[in-house]
Amino acid sequence: MLRRTNILLSRNRLPQVAALITLWWGCDALVRAMSLPVPGGVLGMAVLLLLLATGGIPSAWVRRGSAGLLDHMLLFFAPATMALLDHPELFSLTGLKILAVIVVGTLLVMVGTALAVEACFRWRGRNAD
Amino acid sequence: MPTDSLLAGTPLSGLPHGEWHPLFWAAVTLGLYLFARAVHQRHARWWTSPLLLTWALCFGLAEALHTTYGDYIKGTHWLLTLLGPATVAFATPIYEQRAMIRRHWPILVVAIMAGTAIAIGSSWALASALGLSPALRLSLLPRSVSTPFAIAFAENVGGIPELAATCVVITGLLGASLGDVLLKWLPLRSSLARGALFGMGAHGVGTARARLVGAEEGSIAGLVMVLAGLTSVLIAPVIALFMR
Repeated sequence: MLRRTNILLSRNRLPQVAALITLWWGCDALVRAMSLPVPGGVLGMAVLLLLLATGGIPSAWVRRGSAGLLDHMLLFFAPATMALLDHPELFSLTGLKILAVIVVGTLLVMVGTALAVEACFRWRGRNAD
Repeated sequence: MPTDSLLAGTPLSGLPHGEWHPLFWAAVTLGLYLFARAVHQRHARWWTSPLLLTWALCFGLAEALHTTYGDYIKGTHWLLTLLGPATVAFATPIYEQRAMIRRHWPILVVAIMAGTAIAIGSSWALASALGLSPALRLSLLPRSVSTPFAIAFAENVGGIPELAATCVVITGLLGASLGDVLLKWLPLRSSLARGALFGMGAHGVGTARARLVGAEEGSIAGLVMVLAGLTSVLIAPVIALFMR
């Protein structure tokens, strides 16, 4: 019986996705009931990480389901981008300004982060010698 | 408004005039997404990015049919809801990268602190300099982190969650392309720096791009993306205090 459950959960993506949804649903209900300051998904991630780290469940039970959900994440946030339907004012100067903030801001973040990491990496390399 | 002739004889025709079945938009979104993925697999260009293509086609259709966001989201909200389980799923890649986290955690902490500070600071400074409204400014703050985190952040600090999500998506699309250009210009020797650049600057879309640069870059990017998202959710209450 246990062996069969193990095989079923390790090989099939759908029961794994269902298990992840159930875990999220439970955590989300808990967050709402206790009005915790973290989103249900983040609590669910912490719970799953704890279960994996303590060996409570083997990672094979969630690997395929996780990969499936993460692969299609772009689809899940597609509906949010349609909010632009109600904000026609963004297809104007305001929209261009937002675009400018995003482009310049993203360049700063990327250059800043990469150079900070590179500096750390080289500093550590020098000190390790 | 959709015309009755288009709907005649379909299960959709029983609805009040001018209204689509809520699941119509879910089917359209799913169909266009699958189409966009197929196109991207054949022609991998920045403009065939599945998200951009899905959005452009879906948006064009919704505009042509005079659909409001309220009508659209009625049948597609469940897709957004799936971002919750997707966030839970991030536990698996983090768990699988535990050896790398143990080895490089000081550098990862530096990357996330520097990246988050620059992301929030630059959004705030640039949006203020250009005179954007406070609601827009707050919605732009979390644009560098992955959507589920960005939505939680925007709700917390008083931005518009949908607008925040849109800014996140635009950041991802532009960032993934900007990252490619930056890799050619910056003298980066470590795969850590290359991965962090994508994960911090362009979250999910950047992580997908980083996987193409190299396996190590890809997993670093994914890890940095998740940790940056968590950090921003955790510091959101503090930022909310300052905004009041």
